[in-house]
Amino acid sequence: MKPLALVLALAFFVIGLLYGLGILNFFTKSGAEHSHHFTHLVACWIIALLCLVWFRFQGSPSR
Amino acid sequence: MSDLQAIVLALLQGVSELFPISSLGHTILLPAVLRWNNINRADPTFLAFVVVLHLGTALALLAYYRTQWWAIARALVSSVVRGKLSQDRNERVGWLLVVGTLPVGILGLIFQEPVRALFGTPAPAAAFLALNGLVMFAGEALRRRQLRLPQRADRPIEHLSFAQSVFVGFAQSLALLPGISRSGASMVAGLLCDLDHEDAAEYSFLLATPVILAAALLEIPKLTAPGSHVVLVQAIIGGIVAAIAAYASVAFLTRYFKSNDLRPFGWYCLAAGVICFILSRMGVLS
Repeated sequence: MKPLALVLALAFFVIGLLYGLGILNFFTKSGAEHSHHFTHLVACWIIALLCLVWFRFQGSPSR
Repeated sequence: MSDLQAIVLALLQGVSELFPISSLGHTILLPAVLRWNNINRADPTFLAFVVVLHLGTALALLAYYRTQWWAIARALVSSVVRGKLSQDRNERVGWLLVVGTLPVGILGLIFQEPVRALFGTPAPAAAFLALNGLVMFAGEALRRRQLRLPQRADRPIEHLSFAQSVFVGFAQSLALLPGISRSGASMVAGLLCDLDHEDAAEYSFLLATPVILAAALLEIPKLTAPGSHVVLVQAIIGGIVAAIAAYASVAFLTRYFKSNDLRPFGWYCLAAGVICFILSRMGVLS
């Protein structure tokens, strides 16, 4: 599961970046306001961060 | 928007965000009932005003649970540094809150705009408010039935499973529908997961805090919208009023749920929802 966590983290980071640059418009308001893309960018990066936390929890040997 | 309207809306936001009666439903219905036709909910200046109200509400919640949030934040950071989960209560509650926040975060991002465009008028909001009342009655009835079962007893928040936290998070997502209360839905879900009323309310308020705060922070760019400086003073006063109302509400509700249940709020939502729905069908509310 460690590689999956890393791949997901990377994927969400890139997706967030694409939203931030305005390249991705899925699930955004039509008319594409800047603030809405910013929301998606932040949300994707938060999920990426959580994936990294997941990765971290799998890094330690279990007792 | 007049100063009086701003203060009434701020009070309404602060109170109805935490009472299980739907703040979104009330901010649609009350202006319609009072015939405040000068308020345009899509106006950038009004949206900027609403952002500050949400910020005030979130800060009040953070202030009320400041000791708990500080302990939870420290426990979360130390568990990430350690790289494994422990039996610490604050750490457990912290991760439950993180997991429980994901559904509303994701669903909100995808569905908030289309849902509000579809249902953001008085008739659907009134219908959902009545449904919100029925949900609370159903939740209370199911809980009483659960308690009659052998070997079923109340459990503390930290004994929730992650799946149950996701369930409560999904219930909270129903508040995307105007008229469905965030705290009401998550409290009912908490009750169905064997929390008592006091713990269900506390978990609901803790779960609501990051969502309301994030929603407010992410909408801060709206404060820079052209013309929003016009409502700056109203927004600041409104934010303070909303914060005071929210703090008083959470203080009242945490005491109220030590010995009371959701049914009085269920009756209110049912009655207000049915009356407003009839009025909107008669064309009185628009």
